[in-house]
Amino acid sequence: MDSKRAVHIYHRNLAIAVGLILLVFALIPMAVKSPYLLNIFVLVFYMSTLSMAWNLLGGMTGQNSLGHAAYMGLGAYACCLLVVKTGANPWLAGIFGMVVVGLVAGIVFYPCFILRGPYFTLVSIAFGESIRQVIINSAFFGRASGVGLPFGSDSWVHFRFTSKVPYYYVGLLMMIGVYLVMKKIDRSKMGFALKTIREDEDAAAAIGINPTRYKIMAVVISAMVAGLVGFFYASYIRYIDPELMIQAKSTESVLPAIVGGAAYVEGPIIGGLIMIPLSEYLRANFSAILPGINMLMYAVALLVVIRFRPAGILGWYMNSRTKAFVDEKILRKPPLGVLEEVEMMGYRKGEA
Amino acid sequence: MSMFLQACVNGLLMGGFYSLMGMGQNIIFGVMKIVNFCHGEMLMVGMYLTFILYTYLGIDPYLAVPIVAVTMFCLGSVIQHTLITPSLGTKSFTNLLFLTVGLGLLLSNGALVIFGSEYRSIRTAYSQTYIQLGPVTMALPRLISFGVLIVVTIALFAFLKYTTIGKQIRAVSQNPVGAEVVGIDVKKIYILTYGLGIALAGTAGALLTQFYTIFPTAGASFGFRALIVVVVGGLGSIPGAFMAGIFLGLLETMSALFISPSYSDLIVFMTFIVILVVRQTMIARRK
Repeated sequence: MDSKRAVHIYHRNLAIAVGLILLVFALIPMAVKSPYLLNIFVLVFYMSTLSMAWNLLGGMTGQNSLGHAAYMGLGAYACCLLVVKTGANPWLAGIFGMVVVGLVAGIVFYPCFILRGPYFTLVSIAFGESIRQVIINSAFFGRASGVGLPFGSDSWVHFRFTSKVPYYYVGLLMMIGVYLVMKKIDRSKMGFALKTIREDEDAAAAIGINPTRYKIMAVVISAMVAGLVGFFYASYIRYIDPELMIQAKSTESVLPAIVGGAAYVEGPIIGGLIMIPLSEYLRANFSAILPGINMLMYAVALLVVIRFRPAGILGWYMNSRTKAFVDEKILRKPPLGVLEEVEMMGYRKGEA
Repeated sequence: MSMFLQACVNGLLMGGFYSLMGMGQNIIFGVMKIVNFCHGEMLMVGMYLTFILYTYLGIDPYLAVPIVAVTMFCLGSVIQHTLITPSLGTKSFTNLLFLTVGLGLLLSNGALVIFGSEYRSIRTAYSQTYIQLGPVTMALPRLISFGVLIVVTIALFAFLKYTTIGKQIRAVSQNPVGAEVVGIDVKKIYILTYGLGIALAGTAGALLTQFYTIFPTAGASFGFRALIVVVVGGLGSIPGAFMAGIFLGLLETMSALFISPSYSDLIVFMTFIVILVVRQTMIARRK
């Protein structure tokens, strides 16, 4: 019974740690009143979510897309146009936007799955640029001048507020929700199938995984999450234009995942929490004298991480002594053997 | 009719640049199997180098071409040696891809920090000279640039075909392990290849300066078009890259003439997707 108790204590400590982190994030808007700082947090939430969407396709499946800004923009456009043209409820329009993006991505990429490695990246760029060109050239999408959402009094029904606090909480919930979905996928049969495809597609096909089917699922889910971010962005900024979908934005959406560690579901969140406040600080303080300094810092961070810590910040932490110390002393993690023993007990009880 | 001929000539002259960019990308992609996503930014660096040489040292843009090419070759070699070769060992395609993306970000934002976002241009004594050839008008710098492009293409073709180093580059692109077995220093070839590819991009940049504005993101559209040239022209083929570049230039001007200038980008991207998918499907079927 001793090992069972140790595992119980470990799980309790883990729950307390996660609870404390959540509590801190929940309490930040009470302590921080500056709209500027809150804006940075909202930015972290939606950029990390977009990066998680990329990570499902890039980090987990090995299909490096460079067109996620286009999916996000498409979701934002679908939702904004539905609201502006028919007066629909924005929440429903958000769901509509996600469905549209998922459908478009699924249909367009179905013939493209024959492409591997760099060719997939090229098509994702060409596809993203094509969407942007269609929007710029079409009067229905408002051409280059963009679309604005109607303003009005604060309301949850119409998802519009003058204060940034509600957006903070919705953004936080969105990030946590998407994280839980990604974690679930990561541990499911689908997650293992995707990782097998990443390592060797032919071998995956040989052991009975249908690569096309799983890649389509990954693309559709990834694009739908990007569409969700688009809906959140449109509701927050209340104005969208085709500049949202330029190539540089797609690249920007990948950086948190690479810097944080693309092999981990948590990577994009860690990367976003570190990189985005830094970038915003540089933008606010130096962009008047040195324009482009924040993106320059992004580029340097990216190169340094890839050159010296190819597994990202989280990959570095996972193999570091700090983690060993935290596990042993603070969380009181029992040895792996004990954990497995207790897990097996659970199974035996189930059999009996 | 005269408009059609004029569009043909313009497409041809622009296509030459896409060919040159595509050839650089082609040898890098062919030898190392990595896509160089900072190829367009290298063109931009070549433009700024020419600009500096012209403005501060008074060197004519065409005389600056060899200087720019050599400088860019050195830059490319250093990047390959310090950044790309060490990362080739990790076998992580994602990391390699974002290494060149990061380099592109570094260069374009570095240029933004150093030179600001102003549009700059080089105007020499003969910039505004035009040549009338039947119904077609051509700017003299464009014509000279095209001539230089042709010379560079033939020189590159001969270099890869007949010199020892050229043969070694082709050997590595076909089979790196086999090349290493017969005693070729593969790492040296990687350095040479990347330097050569970057030098070609820089040359294209130097040749562009007289009729194109110079700004930090000037290379972006050329960078992606270089990739289109590689895919359409076929991997490892210099004549193929040349033809594909000309085709791309003509496609752009023709769609601008017959459909609408604002749709020409869309048509280029759509054609690219269709060609890529059809081609890869055919290759997969053949296997």
